[in-house]
Amino acid sequence: MDVLQKVGRPSLSSALSTFVTFVLKVSLWGWVAINLAMLVWIFFNSVKSSRDIFANPAGPPTTWEWGNFWTALTTSGLGVAAINTVVLVVVSVAVIMLLSVPAAYALARLGGRSAGPIVSLFSAGMSVPFQAFAVPMVLISVGLSRFMIEWVTGAWDPRITVAIFYVALSLPFSVFVLVGYFRSLPSELEEASALDGAGAFRTFRTVMVPLAKSGITTVTVLNVLGLWNETMIVLLLVPNQGMQTLNVALLNFYSDMQYTSDWGGLFAGVVIVVAPMVLLYFWVGRRVVSGMTEGIGK
Amino acid sequence: MTIARHSSATDAGRLAGLEEPESSLRDRSRPSRRGRIGGALDRARRRIYLPLLLPALIVYVVLFIVPALYGMALSFSSWAGLGTTFRWVGLKNYTGLFSSPVFLSSFWNTLVLTAVVGIAIFLIACGAMIVLRTTKGHSFIRSAVFVPFIISPIAIGLSVSFLFNPNGLINTVLGLLGLDGLQRPWLAADNILQVIMVGLTWSAAGFYVVLLMSAVDGIPASFYESAQIEGANLLQQFRHITLPLTRDMISVAAVLWVIAGIKTFEIIIAFTGTAGTPPLQARSLAVEQYLRVTGGPAGGIPQMGSAAAIGVIMTIITVVLILLSRRISRREPLEM
Repeated sequence: MDVLQKVGRPSLSSALSTFVTFVLKVSLWGWVAINLAMLVWIFFNSVKSSRDIFANPAGPPTTWEWGNFWTALTTSGLGVAAINTVVLVVVSVAVIMLLSVPAAYALARLGGRSAGPIVSLFSAGMSVPFQAFAVPMVLISVGLSRFMIEWVTGAWDPRITVAIFYVALSLPFSVFVLVGYFRSLPSELEEASALDGAGAFRTFRTVMVPLAKSGITTVTVLNVLGLWNETMIVLLLVPNQGMQTLNVALLNFYSDMQYTSDWGGLFAGVVIVVAPMVLLYFWVGRRVVSGMTEGIGK
Repeated sequence: MTIARHSSATDAGRLAGLEEPESSLRDRSRPSRRGRIGGALDRARRRIYLPLLLPALIVYVVLFIVPALYGMALSFSSWAGLGTTFRWVGLKNYTGLFSSPVFLSSFWNTLVLTAVVGIAIFLIACGAMIVLRTTKGHSFIRSAVFVPFIISPIAIGLSVSFLFNPNGLINTVLGLLGLDGLQRPWLAADNILQVIMVGLTWSAAGFYVVLLMSAVDGIPASFYESAQIEGANLLQQFRHITLPLTRDMISVAAVLWVIAGIKTFEIIIAFTGTAGTPPLQARSLAVEQYLRVTGGPAGGIPQMGSAAAIGVIMTIITVVLILLSRRISRREPLEM
């Protein structure tokens, strides 16, 4: 702005620009304030009694009802759901990475003529919306569980089917992003390792995987985030409430509100669902966000 | 689905045609081909190519491509699930959908929601691109506006709908300010879609701001400096530097939003809970499909065929809109 004044063009447009800029800056900070206020408001509600939530909608709690978290975890089943979610997310993301890291390395660095088309095949999968799978997924899930119960194991857990589809639906994105990372790595170290007599697989495991660490972290965190917040697959495939995940349990909790009116407990549930991801974001978020935007820009 | 909220990111890069440098990159990464040890090294590397690739490729083909094709086939059938009579009905599901007022209203709602929220996000992002560069604390602002994006859409839906409930904070504050005239039954069938769009804009906008700001970061500072010396104000700088130089990323962002917006589901469900049925005025295609797959909360008969057809229609809309945003962004090729 001071440059403008020096140049001296006190036109109408510059006054307008100053005004617009000011309004925009104020609105941006207003937006930040709303986000922070929203987080605080949710937290306050989670430690209020239901009566307090309605009588005192904006202020801090008059009495701190930490018991809300206990009710949410036990009576409303969010404890079991949390265990289901953690196990499902950890197992699925582990399998996703075990499949996609080697495949991406092979496609990016080892592939002959077939690599290009296969990368396109994976990336085409990303423009297919989830809804294209909703119906086949339900039918396959029912069929698979009947087949396993009658012919193979005698028992089946729909959570395994959920994990299978979590893996399958996350592969296109994971492979595609990791291919980009592996392609951008320098090849000198790979050659040096081969000259030192390391086998091709050892070169991959001890040289290339560590080099791609930032890309692997980004993809891992984005998968964790996506699967933690996933709702529809569990809603479609897992009818048994004891086997459902946090988001679905939260929905069920909400649906019961008309009978229980335990709003404090409901917001404690919201905190239980949201807090781990907010903490994850503050821990690794910045790095992941910059990794992600770089990946998109390339 | 939330997975693809992130997952579609890089895809859009490809879709928006940002992949050109790839071939040159690939050449650079393999000088060994031409090297002295090239032959032996290549053979060893080629031996592990298939063992590393095949597990992922087989899982992808068997559990992704095959189910997608199965879904497409089912859209030409009439079926209520395993154990019921299965019949091929040709295009009847599609003609049935396009003559069903319920489907058409969810189709219309989805387009309105995607367009309105998309425009709102675009305007917000433009505002951020004009001033965020020169605002104090800009990296803090970026982190703070990104937060809603990582919060589960179910939690967002619950919290926002609670804010807008008849005795909720919004109406209370309006009452305290003496603006009783503005108080509304926000969650009534006729208003709920607007409230959902507000919630959706709030939760998604931060991601696009961060995405577009990363493109702004890539613009050399000297461009802005010389513009300043010539006396260009921030609006002019935006118009003549930022906007043209971030065109590619804007088109990527548009593609991403289309992919995400078309399948809006969780936030709408969260407004009504699993026990209720979202009113017709607020149903998106994804919600309508969910109700048909499950038979609805009343325990009706699942309509697998027409639900599969909705999946196919959504895929087609997504692809068409992606092609459209590419076309728009490529209108003026830019020379630097």
